[in-house]
Amino acid sequence: MSLFPLFHWLQSSEFFAALSGSQLVYPIVMTTHLACIAVFGGMILMTDLRLLGLAFTSYPAAEFVGSLRIWKRIGFCIMVAAGLLLFGAKAETYYGNPYFWAKLTLLALVGVHAMIFRSRVYGNLAEPDRAGVTSAEAKVAAYISLALWIGILCMGRLIAYYEPPRGPFATAPLYFPAARLRVFNETDTVLPLGDRRAASGQHARRAGPD
Amino acid sequence: MIQASPLGDALSAGWVFPTAECFHISAFALSIGTIALVDLRMMGMGLRRYTAARLVEETELWTLLGLVIVVFSGLVLFASQPRIYLPNPALRFKIAALLLAILYNFTVHRRLAMSDVSPMMSRLAAGVSLLLWLSVVSGGLFIAFV
Repeated sequence: MSLFPLFHWLQSSEFFAALSGSQLVYPIVMTTHLACIAVFGGMILMTDLRLLGLAFTSYPAAEFVGSLRIWKRIGFCIMVAAGLLLFGAKAETYYGNPYFWAKLTLLALVGVHAMIFRSRVYGNLAEPDRAGVTSAEAKVAAYISLALWIGILCMGRLIAYYEPPRGPFATAPLYFPAARLRVFNETDTVLPLGDRRAASGQHARRAGPD
Repeated sequence: MIQASPLGDALSAGWVFPTAECFHISAFALSIGTIALVDLRMMGMGLRRYTAARLVEETELWTLLGLVIVVFSGLVLFASQPRIYLPNPALRFKIAALLLAILYNFTVHRRLAMSDVSPMMSRLAAGVSLLLWLSVVSGGLFIAFV
């Protein structure tokens, strides 16, 4: 079963159509998403660096993880909520976007990571703290977490660069010209607007010849 | 073969810009994230075992590293289309906010975090810091919308 009808319905619903058409609300939701990445994504990075023994080495890992847990959870919820809004506004466009699916896959792997390592590593840091060492398992968990989250950040960003295929099977009206990759050179100066302006029906501004 | 894939397209058609953006985002998570840890502590939350002063010492290298990467990758992004970016009001706002945020972070913010000030003052300083950095992030985002 294809999810496309669902994605189509979402994006064309009154709520999400209004959201994606808004030149103010949509960027504000995006800012919220980004601000959460800055603050709480930063916490995730620091937790991984702590487990790797690269930062906050004098701070007991168990307490470090414990003190930040609630903040990371709050941040994650806001980040996901904002992300869902962004998704709904562009669901149909994202359907054929491999970077979108890559990001979702990595997010699912974050869930798998939590299932494997949460109790084994993150809930079990007091003992290694006392011994003054970090277990190899904790380091593996931290490396994987780092790779997953940086991957999620990058895939999230690349979503805006995907150019859907053209041809008889490309559902042309469903995609937007500026969702394509930005090509920069002296003769073709397309304003790097992401896929936003195109979605609201405006075409990328071109620099005049000088 | 490689050109038929989205990744190949990205690599062949101006991969520098997207790559720089990935660095930009990861590095601002690092720099603003570490500053936010200090801010939370100044508000009496988060990592409370140590003083804010100690947290500044623990984080400042990472903050600095993040900022260097953020600024450098930002310059790469800017250099791709300087004539188009320069008149952009959101970009101008962002640069102003960024300079102010950096100045504030390494002067007032740092001094208040390192010294023993009243909780009120500490909270205020942290709030201003978070607001400044939020302005930088939102300014950057609005570059694509104004």
